[in-house]
Amino acid sequence: MADTPLYVGIDLGTTNSAAAVFDGERVSVVRNAQGATVTPSVVRLDKQARVTVGTRARRFLEQDPTNTAAEFKRLMGTGKPIEFPAAATTRTPEQLSAEILKALRQDIADQLGIAIERAVISVPALFELPQSAATSEAARLAGFARVELLQEPIASALAAGWRAEGDGAGSWLVFDLGGGTFDASLLETRDGLLRVVGHDGDNFLGGRDFDWAITEHLASQLAVVPRRNNPEHSGALRALRMAAEDAKIELSRGERAQVTLAQPLVIDGREVEIDLELDRATVERLCAPLVDRAVDVCVRLMTAHGLAAGQLGRLVLVGGPTVMPMVRARVAARLETAIAEGHDPMTLVAQGAALYAATAAIDGRAAQLAAPAGRQVWLQYPAVSSDLTPHVVGKFVGADPPARIVLVRSDGAWTSADATVNPDGTWLTTVTLLPRRACTFQLEARSASGELVVVSPPALTIVQGLTIGDPPLSRTLGVALANGHVQTYLERGAPLPARRTFTHHTVETVAKGSSDSVLRIPIVQGELSQAHLCRLVGTLDIGGDAVIDTVPTGSAVEVTIELDRGGRLAARALVPAIGQVFEHVAHLLVPDAAPDALDASLRDLRRQLMELRTDAFRHGLGHVIEKLDRIESRLSEAERDIDAAHGGDADAAQRARRALLDVDATMAEADLARKWPELDQQARHAAISASSTVGMYGTEAERSLLQDVLAAIDKARRDKDAAELERQMRLAHRLSNAAFNRTPEAWEWYFEDAASEISKCRDLPTAQRLVTEGKAAIARSDNAELRRVVKALWQLLPESSEARKKGFDSGVR
Amino acid sequence: MKLADNPFFVLGLAVDASRIEVEREAQKLLGMLELGFGEAASYATPLGPRLRTAEAVRAAVAALRDPYRRLVAELWARHAPPPRPEPPAPPAAPPSHDGLRRALGWRP
Repeated sequence: MADTPLYVGIDLGTTNSAAAVFDGERVSVVRNAQGATVTPSVVRLDKQARVTVGTRARRFLEQDPTNTAAEFKRLMGTGKPIEFPAAATTRTPEQLSAEILKALRQDIADQLGIAIERAVISVPALFELPQSAATSEAARLAGFARVELLQEPIASALAAGWRAEGDGAGSWLVFDLGGGTFDASLLETRDGLLRVVGHDGDNFLGGRDFDWAITEHLASQLAVVPRRNNPEHSGALRALRMAAEDAKIELSRGERAQVTLAQPLVIDGREVEIDLELDRATVERLCAPLVDRAVDVCVRLMTAHGLAAGQLGRLVLVGGPTVMPMVRARVAARLETAIAEGHDPMTLVAQGAALYAATAAIDGRAAQLAAPAGRQVWLQYPAVSSDLTPHVVGKFVGADPPARIVLVRSDGAWTSADATVNPDGTWLTTVTLLPRRACTFQLEARSASGELVVVSPPALTIVQGLTIGDPPLSRTLGVALANGHVQTYLERGAPLPARRTFTHHTVETVAKGSSDSVLRIPIVQGELSQAHLCRLVGTLDIGGDAVIDTVPTGSAVEVTIELDRGGRLAARALVPAIGQVFEHVAHLLVPDAAPDALDASLRDLRRQLMELRTDAFRHGLGHVIEKLDRIESRLSEAERDIDAAHGGDADAAQRARRALLDVDATMAEADLARKWPELDQQARHAAISASSTVGMYGTEAERSLLQDVLAAIDKARRDKDAAELERQMRLAHRLSNAAFNRTPEAWEWYFEDAASEISKCRDLPTAQRLVTEGKAAIARSDNAELRRVVKALWQLLPESSEARKKGFDSGVR
Repeated sequence: MKLADNPFFVLGLAVDASRIEVEREAQKLLGMLELGFGEAASYATPLGPRLRTAEAVRAAVAALRDPYRRLVAELWARHAPPPRPEPPAPPAAPPSHDGLRRALGWRP
């Protein structure tokens, strides 16, 4: 086995983790020392700081909860240390995740006898950059030399699609209900290529919500009711929750379960015996609203892509909670689609990650250091190909390369055409694969005189099967500007790796030698154009103590943002005026979620909600009221989590923080919908203006494209979809501007507009000089010069302090 | 989308290229760029040759996988003048558009 590549995938889950390996033909799930295919994501440290992981550690969750940690994945990227009092030490969530990864790595070594250095690790689709960075760090701590991260829904889709017979054409849905998050992905496979059509999810819905619903039901029946907002009740609640989880699993098979604890719980100094009965109907009643919430997400996703219930080709269920018969029955009934059988919901993600490792050519084995025997050749080919006749590209190293090369398939039934090697050693050929098989090809090179030349490597292997293109970026990435808006660098769905550069201009001076003078370039992630509704994921700072010369206001800054295949962020800023590059990105942690700050945010959002609701009622805006009702229910959930945060539950605090941020964004959308009549009017004007300008000055392609945009504006107006209408209006403006900017008069008009605001400019003498230069340029019809002047004037106009605050104090525009 | 960045130009394919041809060409170009093939380093557009990068190839193939984005790319590529190997000559003096902005009501 060690002679062939071995691809490793790891599902580092909130509740359980799993590993799988793919050898080019078959995917196998790795079993741990206990023989199980899943390892609980639980770590215990005893008083000698010895580490126990997995099932053995999980047994201590009840007996020794203060020294046993679980669900730390939800704290990844927060930097919050988790205390282990017995050992008088702390560990970060990354360090604890590293322990799980080490255990899985050891299981692979025990089962296959191979040390693994590279792997693909799955992460939730909506993980933020600091959380992804923390996962990579955990892998590094666990001894992996290289890892690539893959979104969980893509992993499960790849695993489910790999086994699909035939073309599997049509849309299908992956319903992934994990311990803490829910993801729904709509996919299609065509010509052996998997495409993610769209995904949606709920970052605050998972199996643990099921457990809490049952726990609260059980708690309500006790003589003394334990409360989540009381830190002294946390031990009792934890014990009750574990019992609830066990009962839930038991009720997947039987009709009734007994909930008993060996020791009585101590609540408010009183001993409370636990001996309760739970039946399946009660559990189903408690969990049904949560399942419906997940199905609602699926319906929303399907509707957005024009699909109704009953129109799915396949439905794949992933995640522990989907084992519950009630969940399966309810999902299948509401989506009117039979569930695809034959997939293990607990290990499907790990299997998909292993398949993806093959697609990305990440061989898990330690690097081979043996010296190459023969003429060295560099090769480029897909390790997995959906195409039956992919290209192989090669280059011989060094001077005087062989003259010709052929590739011979190891079954002897096929040989490639004779490819000529160019004088620089490069060559190109195609190979023919066997469907759904791993094919090995021997490289046979010959000199000009026809002698066989031994080459290294002597062979290559390509697996034919389902592939996915480059991993897509899960959230749009951009730079927050001083006007509170976002300059998008990489759109959601952009293939990774990706890199993009934009030129900005500074809005303040960075004085050389001044440590107080720092120009901030905030990097944000999110889908909205207003910076404060996105998440700050890093900053690039240009400090006065680092610059070699003063950088005056209005200086150009070329910012480049780069993401590798695993979604790791790198950014740099070049200041051409001083010829200096700044590359240190301060990677922010997921922001702290102090309960008092959460209380304040909640109060503020409730006040805004009240105002919006009053206004919506006054104007009879039914669709806005509906949206606000959904916000109200999210706020109530957040309130419960904040209560638990006051009781010391850091995980609940993070959930609440994210929920409030999401509510803030939804509220902004509702506010937009409230302004519908105004927006509708603007849309009509935009359509008329764009038709006129593009009609007169647009190219034929611009005119055709405008027809599409106008149709989309009409549809958004009919659907009363404010966000879509805004997007389409921006497109219409862009087309209109592109056409208008071709006219010489455009820049004259922009000049007059900017010149009228000269009194607001930061550097009045420079602005006055520019106005004089602009007038001279108009007089001699020098449009290029006029354009330069206008752009320079724009740089001198100030941004409001409120806008800058919303733009995370950005120092660029 | 800029005309010069049109995915069909980046990949050097005709607008009726099949999905599998798009994938195959992208895979070939990425391999050639990685190994420094000179002929893969640039591509022809109606605005003259442009530098081809691995990022541009990946973005092009991602765009053509999406049916809507492919339709837009086809539209622009169909209406574009034929690709030219050299940069275009400077344009003639633009026509005058007196009174345009007033006619459009863009200035008070």
